[in-house]
Amino acid sequence: MIPEQFGRVAVLLIFALGFPMLPLAISFLFGLLKIRPAHPDPVKNATYECGVEAEGSSWGQFNARYYLFALGFVIFDVEVIFLYPWAVNHATMPLYTILKAALFIGILLFGLGYAWRKRALEWR
Amino acid sequence: MSEQPMRPATPMLRQIAEHRSLLQRFMGVSKEWKGFALLLLGGLGLSNLAIAYVVIDGRLDGQWYDIRDLGNVTQHLRSWMQDEGFHPAVPYLTTALLGALGILSVVGGWLLIGSWVERRVLAKFQIRQGPNRTGPFGLFQPIADAVKLMQKEVVIPRVADKFLYYAPPVIIFIPAILGWGPVPWAGKMSFLDLNVGVLYTIAISSLGVLGVFLAGWSSNNHYSLLGAMRTVAMMVSYEIPISLALLAVVLLTGSMQLSTIVAWQANYNAWLIFLLPFAAFTFLFASTAEINRTPNDIGEAESEIVAGFYTEYSGMKAGLFMGVELGNAILVGAMMATFFLGGYTMFGLETWIPGYLILAAKIGAVYFLFVWLRGTLPRFRLDQLMGYAWKFLIPLSVVQVLLVAVEASIFARWETPALFPLAAFALLNLGLTVEMVRRWAHALGYAPEVAQQQPVMATAIGGLKAAQKMRGG
Repeated sequence: MIPEQFGRVAVLLIFALGFPMLPLAISFLFGLLKIRPAHPDPVKNATYECGVEAEGSSWGQFNARYYLFALGFVIFDVEVIFLYPWAVNHATMPLYTILKAALFIGILLFGLGYAWRKRALEWR
Repeated sequence: MSEQPMRPATPMLRQIAEHRSLLQRFMGVSKEWKGFALLLLGGLGLSNLAIAYVVIDGRLDGQWYDIRDLGNVTQHLRSWMQDEGFHPAVPYLTTALLGALGILSVVGGWLLIGSWVERRVLAKFQIRQGPNRTGPFGLFQPIADAVKLMQKEVVIPRVADKFLYYAPPVIIFIPAILGWGPVPWAGKMSFLDLNVGVLYTIAISSLGVLGVFLAGWSSNNHYSLLGAMRTVAMMVSYEIPISLALLAVVLLTGSMQLSTIVAWQANYNAWLIFLLPFAAFTFLFASTAEINRTPNDIGEAESEIVAGFYTEYSGMKAGLFMGVELGNAILVGAMMATFFLGGYTMFGLETWIPGYLILAAKIGAVYFLFVWLRGTLPRFRLDQLMGYAWKFLIPLSVVQVLLVAVEASIFARWETPALFPLAAFALLNLGLTVEMVRRWAHALGYAPEVAQQQPVMATAIGGLKAAQKMRGG
């Protein structure tokens, strides 16, 4: 059943790739037919920087605060995904299993509190 | 004194008067046309009676011409092909292709109509007319825009990473279209009836980060990179509240299958927005961040960083970035409708009106809400947004998940009838949500009564007195 379903995802994926490629292809065709102008020059093809020349390349260092959020995302999202199997079977399980889930969620909350305390959630 | 009607005082009143005159012009059509319209209405009524008879009789159910559920057509097509003795791949591929074409036509149609609707509605919010020259009511404006974008010169920065630069406009469409897979449009009419539909939705939605960051990185532009970093940080932060909100939905309905979630809501006649108001709000707000729409479009804040991650894109590529924003908006509308607004059902109305039309109406309603938000709210600062996700939405969502877990186990053990516990849960959750939000906001240092005492801007600059003087004089 499941492979059959994901085969349909593959069909949809082909269409999803084709959908934006169609206007791009038409645009390319316009370029071949000389409907679309193409007059490149060094100033036009320079990096955009509202009037002045761009200073250096962007492929360098940047602020580490973004990585903190990415790390937090990885930890929390994976933990939440692990909660889904519990959520599906929850209603049929005995009542005390809520406590086990609460323990798991408690670890999640503890991690959040720790990150908060360490000022990892502040945007500095 | 004079025969001339008084000129309406404000632009808004003027616009209302204009619309009224349009209506009067429509009412003043000739008698023949009115008679024709009456005949048409009568014919429609009679044919509706006939349809009603057939529907109540039940002889329509499951026939291939039962267009209330287009799943019937594909089902009959499949069984016909199997009877004819085709290779098993043929019916499979045919139905998959038909479904994919259907999804694409929905997305494509919405891209065209939606951009027109957005510009017109936004214009009305700002007391302008909006595009109204190209075709009737400016309806051909999106087509004109598309053609214009396709024949624009493509400017590619010299220093950009060429291969990665071309990929993002295509990659960014993958989640916007694959996300439509599990959405049920009617009872049998869903492209992918996955039993892990919610998980699939979350997985697909997190793909959106890829295209954004590729675009920002490959452009080799400071604005692009800054916009991409901001957007990625915001998107990953808001993915957790979305997962937690959907976790509450899964807990209560006990299934990750989207069609089962809709069936649960239809079965108990209870939309989940009433049962889980905080989850619905979280999902809606976090989704606006997830798809970079105002008020959370900090990644493309044009007053700060030009166009954000797609600063360096021109022509049709930039058009695709703008189009995907709209496509994502309607996808979120479909998800919102499916999870919280009862999906394709409408308290029994789905027997009479095709389910896909009901779902489309709900998508339109959510889309209108998005346009409304865009016309009303200012943009939030990035630190406000991140703090809101991590310090407000996530802790409260976790508390809500525990609450819903208790409720779900009570509900599973409850004997008939279901109305009492559901009504109790709805009231309890609403009250607790309000109280929780108030207390937590206080704990975080936001006090509404202090905020109200602060002077509004008009009084601060003496504008209110000036306005009063003008009004008096």
